Amino acid sequence: MTNRFAQLWRTTTVRLTAIFVLIFVVFSVLLLAVISYQSSIQIQRQQAADIDREIRQITKIDERQGFRASIIAVERLSRQPGPGIYFIGDPTGQLIVGNVTTLPPEVLLEPGSYTFNYDRQRPGDPDSTDAPEPPPPQGNAMVRSVVLSSGLHLVVGRDVVERRGFTAIILQSFLYGVGGIVLLSIIAGLINSRRVLARIDSINVTANKIMSGNLSERIPITQRNDEFDGLATSLNAMLDRIEQLMQGLKEVTDNVAHDLKTPLTRLRNQAESALRDSAHEEDRRKALETTISESDKLIRTFNALLMIARAEAGAPSGAFADIDVSAIAADVAELYAPVAEEEGMELVSEVAPGIRMRANRELIGQALVNLVDNAMKYYRANGEDSSGKITVTAREVGGRVLMEVADNGPGIPAADRSRVVERFVRLEQSRTEPGSGLGLSLVAAVARLHKGEFRLEDNNPGVRAVIDLPA
Amino acid sequence: MKILLIEDDREAASYLIQALDEAGHVTHHATDGETGYAMASGMDYDVLVVDRMLPRRDGLSIIESLRAEDDKTPVLILSALGEVDDRVTGLRAGGDDYLTKPYAFTELLARIEVLARRSSPSEAATSFQVGDLTLDRLSRKVERGGEVIMLQPREFRLLEYLMKNAGKVVTRTMLLENVWDYHFDPQTNVIDVHMSRLRSKIDKGHATSLLQTIRGAGYMIRD
Repeated sequence: MTNRFAQLWRTTTVRLTAIFVLIFVVFSVLLLAVISYQSSIQIQRQQAADIDREIRQITKIDERQGFRASIIAVERLSRQPGPGIYFIGDPTGQLIVGNVTTLPPEVLLEPGSYTFNYDRQRPGDPDSTDAPEPPPPQGNAMVRSVVLSSGLHLVVGRDVVERRGFTAIILQSFLYGVGGIVLLSIIAGLINSRRVLARIDSINVTANKIMSGNLSERIPITQRNDEFDGLATSLNAMLDRIEQLMQGLKEVTDNVAHDLKTPLTRLRNQAESALRDSAHEEDRRKALETTISESDKLIRTFNALLMIARAEAGAPSGAFADIDVSAIAADVAELYAPVAEEEGMELVSEVAPGIRMRANRELIGQALVNLVDNAMKYYRANGEDSSGKITVTAREVGGRVLMEVADNGPGIPAADRSRVVERFVRLEQSRTEPGSGLGLSLVAAVARLHKGEFRLEDNNPGVRAVIDLPA
Repeated sequence: MKILLIEDDREAASYLIQALDEAGHVTHHATDGETGYAMASGMDYDVLVVDRMLPRRDGLSIIESLRAEDDKTPVLILSALGEVDDRVTGLRAGGDDYLTKPYAFTELLARIEVLARRSSPSEAATSFQVGDLTLDRLSRKVERGGEVIMLQPREFRLLEYLMKNAGKVVTRTMLLENVWDYHFDPQTNVIDVHMSRLRSKIDKGHATSLLQTIRGAGYMIRD
């Protein structure tokens, strides 16, 4: 259970809730401070207005009805319960009537407004005369003193401690409110986090199932269509892709096993025949030579596979440089022109000068070589009697670098075109030609590595192999 | 020629030592990087053959240390890593040539012999002569028996490379790497076709054939 709480506390929702509650409390306290300050000022103004009003009334009574009437009025006022403070004294400052006994001397010396502490003991209160006396509570007074026309000193005031009590009430209700909201937020946060945790748990469970070997497992998607469903959809798409790649890898492995096992068997047979006692010296020599050439073929197939794997994995960017594509295409054409000529073909180079791009020089070269070699192989395999012609082209069209190798041979049926790019696929008529069947897959892998594409087009007649790369 | 072979695969090493011995070379052998480095810096060799992945000390670090000590002995790196960038790192570390495993012994031997020639003056020579065939590197003129032979630029470079290494076998891969500067698999016998064209230009109508095909290995020019 504690573990569960620890886990809950680690969730983002709980933390977010905690942060928001904290921010809310801070702002509430600030708000409270402002409100209580404002209201205490308001009360102070109200009390000052009350004091002024009472002083005006008594002054009027004093002027119109004489000092006796004003003493009676003050006595009446001072008997009322409440925060009122009243004092009327003779011209020497001696108390005649009132509910405060002592006043600071300056209050009577100079008319004006004062605040001071005093003993809150009301003379004339029936209780105050009875013993036992508790120590008189401290009061805080705000008063105004005036000298009446009859020469009497009048002091009227209010006890401000009452005002503070009001502030305390506001504070208390505020604390209850804030406490309640904090409590509710925590509960809401916990519920929310449990919900989030449950969704994440379902993703975790699926991930664990996949890790233990069941790659076809997928994360359940709810009807809510929220961000968790978005995440689950992306993860599921990723899993689909991984499964697809695994499937591809399995197929390749099967093909590799097949295409490497066959020459390995031949290799073994050759070595065995060389070891036979009856074999002549000449036969032995021949068998060993075949062994070497078979193993060379194996190495080449193996190298081609590695190269494809590297290209597909995305070669390290260190192998990329600013290269002259025109020079490479021209080199390849120059390298193969004599070979084509010997085979009774013509190799023409139509290379636009000065095409440059960031690419892997060796891989681009190898891709072009493979295309030229392929074109010659198809020509040979089909024993064309019309003169064969291979055209190597490099050009830049609208931000794309196009490298093409076109022939005028029999062409590849449209249905087979995408298939020949797959690994180890060799069309029937070329089965007898030497080659690993990896040539075009390497070209495709190189094109993908350079973020471009490889396609076979109809050349009418013949095939046009196009490496189309972004410049 | 005195060769130091630093290679941890004992079986491959003993085969190499025997074959090099048959070719007339003395070979010393070290099975790990530390011993190899000690031997290389302690003795004079004509060529070092260094495997890239060795126990106790990496092949490239041996070469870097030797070069830092101003030891200019030519180094041939042997490696199972054959990608272009692996080759570039190997050559940058100070290696002079790079051969990917598995290799043919003839290829290794030809490269060792050409490497040993590196330090000889022919590298900087301005003209070469083999028999009555002369090649002038400055005027780019080729003559045989006083008769001027017209060559295409690539044919000139091909002949230049062969004559620079006259009397030594050069393999097809070496020609592709040094004359065309490519390290890819040419798929077909492209080099042979170019060689037969070159041969028809320099040997046709002459009693002695200078350009010879060495069976199972490559080509050699000699009189």
